[in-house]
Amino acid sequence: MRGVIPIEAINKKARAEWIRQLVFVGPAVVFFTLIIAVPFVLSIYYGFTSWNGVTANVKWVGLDNYKQVFLEDDGFRTSFWFTARYTVAAVLLTNLAGFGLALLVTQKIRTSNLLRTIFFLPNVIGGLLLGFIWSFIFVKGFAAIGELTGIGFFELPWLGTSGTAFWGIVIVTVWQYAGYLMVIYIAALMNVPPELMEAARIDGATRLQLLRSIIVPLIMPAVTVSLFLTISWSFKVFDLNLSLTGGGPYGSTESVALNIYQEAFRNNRYGIGTAKALIFFVIVALITMLQVYVTKKKEVEA
Amino acid sequence: MKKWMTATLSTAMTLSLVLSGCGSNSGGSDGGSGSGSGGDGEQVTIKMFQFKVEIAEQLTKMIEAYESEHPNINIELETVGGGADYGAALKAKFNSNDKPDIFNNGGFSDLDLWVEHLEDLSDEPWVDQLVDVAKEPMTKDGKLYGQPLNLEGYGFIYNKDLFEQAGITELPTTLSELRAAADKLKAADIQPFINGYGEWWVLGNHFVNIPFAQQDDPDAFIASLNDGTSSIPGNEVFEQWTQLFDLTLEYGGANPLQTDYNTQVTEFALGKAAMTQQGNWTQVAISETNPDINIGFLPMPINDDAAAMDKLPVGVPNNWVVHKNSAVKEEAKAFLDWMVSSEVGQRYITEEFKFIPAFTNIEADDSLLGQLAADIIAYSQEGKTLSWNWFKFPGGEATSNAFADAMQAYVGGQLGKDEMLQQFQKTWEQLSKQ
Repeated sequence: MRGVIPIEAINKKARAEWIRQLVFVGPAVVFFTLIIAVPFVLSIYYGFTSWNGVTANVKWVGLDNYKQVFLEDDGFRTSFWFTARYTVAAVLLTNLAGFGLALLVTQKIRTSNLLRTIFFLPNVIGGLLLGFIWSFIFVKGFAAIGELTGIGFFELPWLGTSGTAFWGIVIVTVWQYAGYLMVIYIAALMNVPPELMEAARIDGATRLQLLRSIIVPLIMPAVTVSLFLTISWSFKVFDLNLSLTGGGPYGSTESVALNIYQEAFRNNRYGIGTAKALIFFVIVALITMLQVYVTKKKEVEA
Repeated sequence: MKKWMTATLSTAMTLSLVLSGCGSNSGGSDGGSGSGSGGDGEQVTIKMFQFKVEIAEQLTKMIEAYESEHPNINIELETVGGGADYGAALKAKFNSNDKPDIFNNGGFSDLDLWVEHLEDLSDEPWVDQLVDVAKEPMTKDGKLYGQPLNLEGYGFIYNKDLFEQAGITELPTTLSELRAAADKLKAADIQPFINGYGEWWVLGNHFVNIPFAQQDDPDAFIASLNDGTSSIPGNEVFEQWTQLFDLTLEYGGANPLQTDYNTQVTEFALGKAAMTQQGNWTQVAISETNPDINIGFLPMPINDDAAAMDKLPVGVPNNWVVHKNSAVKEEAKAFLDWMVSSEVGQRYITEEFKFIPAFTNIEADDSLLGQLAADIIAYSQEGKTLSWNWFKFPGGEATSNAFADAMQAYVGGQLGKDEMLQQFQKTWEQLSKQ
C-alpha cells in the first residue's frame, strides 16, 4: 500500500497548490488584467471603429482607420521620423554619457560619492516638471547668458527653430537619464573581476585596450539593460515633449506618443488614435525584441 | 491552520478591494438617483466639473453661499484646467461613468460633439436676458444648450504711457496708421510689438480669426469653404491680413516662436514692448506684474477702412451645460438660474470672478473689472464687435492647431505667404472630410 497515494490527498495537495498560486500571483493577475489587458483589448476594438470618445453610438469601420493612417496621415509619418531620429540621438548620447560618468565616479577621486548623488539627481525630477524648468532655461536663462557673454551658442532661439528644438529635447533627455544609466553601469563596473584587470595590466595592456577588451565585453549585460531601457523610454517620449516644446515649432518636434494623444483627445478621433497606438506598439515591440536578441548574443562571462 | 487563515484573508482582502473599486461607482450614481426622488429634507449632491482655474477659489465661496441658502443641496466642485487637458478629463469621466451634472462646453463644434448628452435649456428663465452674441455658440436646431460664463474680447493691448512717450496722440485704427504708430515707437527706441507666436492659440484661434471675422458674412464664408465654393488662397481679406501679420513681425521682438504666453504678458507688463495681441483675461496678470500700468485695447486693422477696422472680436469663451440624464438636473438648473438671477450670484460674477457678464440684467462696474474689460464693454455697447469663429472650424481645435503650425512655419521662414494660405485650405479640406 505504500506507493499508492489516496486520491483525496492528491486533490488536497493540488488544491493547496492552487490556493498558493492564487494568493501569490492572483492579486497581480487581477490588477494586470484590469489595468493592462482589458484596456489593451478594448483599444484594439476601438481601433476598428470611428468612435469620437464621447458618443454612445460606436460605429464599426473595419480597416478604414488603418488605411487613413498609412495612406493619408502625413503628421503621423513626420512624428515617426522625428521619434526615430530622436531615439537614435538620445540612446547613443545617454548611454555614452552614463557610461562616461560611471567610469569617472569609479575612479579613485575623493568626491565620488557626492558626484554620484549629483549626477543621479535630475532623474528624481519628473519629466513634465523638467520640461517646464528647461523651457525656462532655454528661453530666459540661455538668452540672459547670451546677452551677457555674447557667445553664439546661448543666443540661438533654442525652442524657436526645428533644429535647435530637436537638440533641446535631446539635451534634456541626456541630462535626465544619464545619471540613472550611470548607476547601472557602476554596478556592472564593480563586478569586473580585479584579477582579470591586473592580469591584463601585467601583460602590458594600455588603458584603451583594457576598456575595449576587458571592461566592455564584461559589462555587456548592463549594456543590454541600458539599451533596452533607453530605447523604450525614447520611443515613448511624451511628457518631456509636451512640456518642453509641445510638439512645436510648427509640429516639427511632435513625438509619436504626442501625435497619438492629440489625435484621440484633441482631434476627437479616438478610433484613429487607437489604431495608431496599436501600430506603434507593434513597431516598438519588434525593435526592442530585436535589440535584446542582438545584445544578448554579445554577452560573455569572465 | 494559520497558513489557511492568511490565504483566505488575503484573498478576501484583494477581492474586497477590487469589488469596492467597482462598487463605489455604482453606489455613487445610485445614491444620486435615490436622493433626487427623495423628499425635501434629503441631501442632494450636484457634481460640477469646470476648467477655469482662475476662479476655482471664488467659485467655491459662491457655492458655499448657495449651500447655506439651500441646506439640502450639496455641490461638489472639481476643477481641471490651466495646463491640464479639460476635454480629455471630461471624456475620461463620462466613459468611467463618473458623469458630472454641470460641466463646460465651448459651443459650435464642441456642442456638436457633446450635444447628445446635453439638456435643452431653452425654457430657462435667464434666456431672455442673454445678450444676442452669447446665444449663437450653444444653439443647435433652435434649441439653447448652455449658459454662457461671460464675454471676453481681445485685440492689440497697448501701453498708454509708452504711446505718450513716443508722441502718439491719435490712436491708430487703420493699417497705415498702425504702421505709422509703430514707426514712431521705433524712433523713440521702444519695441512696438511683442508677439506670443510660440503659443498655438494666439495664432490658431485669435489671430487667424481676424480674416474670418472681417469677411462680409463670416458664417456664409465658412459655409462656402465647407461646400467648396470658395477657398482661402486668393481671398482678398486673407491677403490683406497677411500684411498685418508681416507688420507685427517686422516691428516685433526677436524669436517670436519661443515667446510663450507668460513671457509675452510679463514683458509687455514690464514695458518692454508697447503692443501685444491678447485678451482682457490678461488684466490680472498684467496688473500683478505692474500695478501702475495704463493699458487699453486697439483694434487689429488689416486695411485702411477705418469704420470697418475699428472693432474688437468679442465672444463667449465657454458655457455651463447640464447633463441630460442626470438625476439631479432640476437642481442643477436651479443653481445655474440662481447664479445669474440672485443678487449674491451676480455679485460673485462681476466682483469676484471679474467677468464681463453676458446678461443684460447684470450691471458691471468698469472700475471693478479693470481697464481692459472697460474697453471691451465700451466697444460692445457701441456695437463695434467682430465675431469669434474658431469654434466653427471643421475640426475645432485640430484645425486651429494645424493653422498655427502653418503660421509658425511662415514666421520661421519655412513656408511662403501663398504656401501658408494653401496649407490653410488643405487643412480645412482634410478636417471637414470626416
